[in-house]
Amino acid sequence: MSPNEVAERLAGLREEFDRSFAEPARRHDVEYAELLAVRAGGRPYALRLSQASGLHPDRPVTPLPGPQAALLGVAGFGGAIVPVYDLAALLGHAVPERPRWLVLASGAPPLALAFHELDGHVRVPATDIVEETAGRDGSDILRGMAPIAGGSRPIVDLPAARAAVHQLTGHKPDVHEEQ
Amino acid sequence: MARRTFGTKLATGLGIKMALTALTCVASVAALSVVVDAKDGAIKLAADDLGMAQQLATTAGDRISDYRGYLVNGTQDWLDATIADRQQFLGLVTQLRGGLSDPAARTLLDSVSTAEARYTAAIDTVIERRRTMTDLSDIGRLNETNVGPARKALREAITALIARLRADVESARRASSGKATRSIIVIIALSVLGVLLGASIAWKLSRDLRREVGTAVGHIQSSSAQLEAAATQQAGGGRDQASAMSEITTTISELLITSRQIAESAQRVSKIAEETSEAARNGDATIDQTRASISAIRAQVDQIVQHMLSLGEKSQQIGGVVDLVSELAEQTNILAINATIEASGAGEWGRRFAVVAEEIRKLADRTAGSAKEIRALIEDVRGAVNTTVMATEIGAKSVDAGARQFDDATDSFRRIAQLVATTNDATREIELSTKQQTTAVEQVNVAANDTARVTRETEASAVQTRQTAAHLSTLSSDLLQLVGTGRR
Repeated sequence: MSPNEVAERLAGLREEFDRSFAEPARRHDVEYAELLAVRAGGRPYALRLSQASGLHPDRPVTPLPGPQAALLGVAGFGGAIVPVYDLAALLGHAVPERPRWLVLASGAPPLALAFHELDGHVRVPATDIVEETAGRDGSDILRGMAPIAGGSRPIVDLPAARAAVHQLTGHKPDVHEEQ
Repeated sequence: MARRTFGTKLATGLGIKMALTALTCVASVAALSVVVDAKDGAIKLAADDLGMAQQLATTAGDRISDYRGYLVNGTQDWLDATIADRQQFLGLVTQLRGGLSDPAARTLLDSVSTAEARYTAAIDTVIERRRTMTDLSDIGRLNETNVGPARKALREAITALIARLRADVESARRASSGKATRSIIVIIALSVLGVLLGASIAWKLSRDLRREVGTAVGHIQSSSAQLEAAATQQAGGGRDQASAMSEITTTISELLITSRQIAESAQRVSKIAEETSEAARNGDATIDQTRASISAIRAQVDQIVQHMLSLGEKSQQIGGVVDLVSELAEQTNILAINATIEASGAGEWGRRFAVVAEEIRKLADRTAGSAKEIRALIEDVRGAVNTTVMATEIGAKSVDAGARQFDDATDSFRRIAQLVATTNDATREIELSTKQQTTAVEQVNVAANDTARVTRETEASAVQTRQTAAHLSTLSSDLLQLVGTGRR
């Protein structure tokens, strides 16, 4: 990489930074969907940022004894104890590698899903997303596909994940109420 | 007999023959002496006793004659002669009595004596008558009657004695002739025995001579033939040896020339070796300079390695800083995401904040991308540094190996120099040795010439030996013929 190339890139960055302040404010919730591109168990997925209440790396998780293989343990978030489930295990392809990232699902009861890698934060036009209203059964937590650079990714629906967790732990589906 | 020499056999045979001859001689002498004794006895008997007896008769006759002469003449002379005749007669009787051994003859002699005494008594009477008589006319008275018978008795007695003695002589002659005949038989037997023994000894000696001497002479003949063949071979070998010696002499002359050339070459080699030694001494200084240069290169290479390692270390530190930047970018990214999440639930203000948060997130992404690029560059640098360090270390090892090889080369060079010095000494020794060798070769040349001459003489003597052997072979054949084997 030559010094001229670096200087050009630097100029481009500066221009783009300045332009971002000059552009009019965009509407987020209608035209675009905010997505997190993640990898769980080596497979690519997407999460709706609107369904999350926080993203945390390297949180200490206290393991709990129990029959659930997907339950990694509990972690503390803002003074609350939140159960942490392995997203790859919920999707049915658990790997022995310990997940690094935690995404906190919005709504109640609190739930954190752990995944292995974070590919980035992307904005995808809402029209590009293939919507899917319901899964094939109670344990299916994938809803729709999002075209992201590098290929389409299935979108993990966090409320459906909560429902699946509930189903695993013995709760009736109609007992809980969604936000 | 096998171990005895022929001379011994000859001596033994001749000794036996001589002993037998001596025995024959002794026997002959003994027989002769016996025969001589016998004949002597017979002769003595014949000559003495018979002679004396006949002399008795003669003496008696003489006495009768002298007595008659006395009777006729009457002289004292005849009487004395008669008395002397009687004395002689008595002496003869006495003498005969001492020599007679035959008793019968002795008895007859006694009767002769008795007859003579009677006759004497008879004639004494007559003699006395004659002495007193002077006239011879009555001579008749002188005649006595008993004189005649006495005289006859005396003669008869003497005749009987003579006859007896003659018979004795005849018997003695016969006895001696018998002894002589026996002696002749004994001598003839011994002579025949000697002849037979001599013949057998001669036959045996001749047989042994034929057998042993013939065998020996046959051996001599075959040996002389072999000797002749060997001499022929030796003569041929001597000729070959003479020609070989002449070749050797020629070769030695060439060798002499070659030795002189070698000596000259050794001198040249010695000179070249000295020049080489000088060049080796000059090379030593060059070697020392080269070694110093190699040491300097080694130090430079060490410094390069140190600098490269330092560069790698600095790159690692830069990498640490870049990790820090990456960490900060990631945390900023997380913060931006969380800010976006928070902003989505905060209405219009939240939307504006979300814009800011997105910009922050973009910056963080770009920072992370730049950090990743820096990380890649640093990895490239570290790889290059590692490659360089490895290459440099290989270079250092090569330098070390080169230095070692150079040391080896130096040692070899020094050894070469020492060997050149040794070679120089050896060359001088070779030069000296070659000179001595040349002298020795000259002496060998002289000796070879002498040897060639001796070889020619040997050849001549071999020819002589061959001729002698041929002569000896001929002599052996002649000797074989002489011995009687007749083999050729």
